[in-house]
Amino acid sequence: MRGHEAEIRAAGASLAAIGLGDRRYAAAFRDETGISFPLLVDEERRAYRAADLPSASVLHLVRKDNVRARSRARKAGHSQHRLGRNPLQLGGSFVFAPGDRDLHVHRSETFGDTAAVEDLLAALREAGGSGAPPIA
Amino acid sequence: MGDSISGALAPIVLPDPDGTEIRLGSLWETRPAVVAFLRHYG
Repeated sequence: MRGHEAEIRAAGASLAAIGLGDRRYAAAFRDETGISFPLLVDEERRAYRAADLPSASVLHLVRKDNVRARSRARKAGHSQHRLGRNPLQLGGSFVFAPGDRDLHVHRSETFGDTAAVEDLLAALREAGGSGAPPIA
Repeated sequence: MGDSISGALAPIVLPDPDGTEIRLGSLWETRPAVVAFLRHYG
């Protein structure tokens, strides 16, 4: 996602990330990656629960799509850091707009399942007019 | 607002790595925001 920050900002939106774990580890990640957008720490998973983000099963680790996703990530130079206390917690990507409108919702169904950036940008383009209708 | 996910998230306050607390709703109060929930740092 961070590789698309410029496109997201050009579409008139801001970008923020929410992570698990503790602040010390989040600080190391921020410093290592040089991200400039807000990175928030949700040690108690309050936001994850509010967003209704599920946890995976350990059986997901051996799914073919996850094996392929890990291979792609390694080839792209990404390495997985410490997982923390909730290694099965899944993530998600959302586009929210003023007035607490949900413009796009993607909850990961398994580890390698991430939102297509094109879909996020499309949601932002649709919101660029007089305001897109909420989907939730 | 209503039953939206953003409405449920809006009042939640979380710290950044420096300890500065941010209310989630402030992220999309004036313009849209892409919010990514990470599974891990990396």
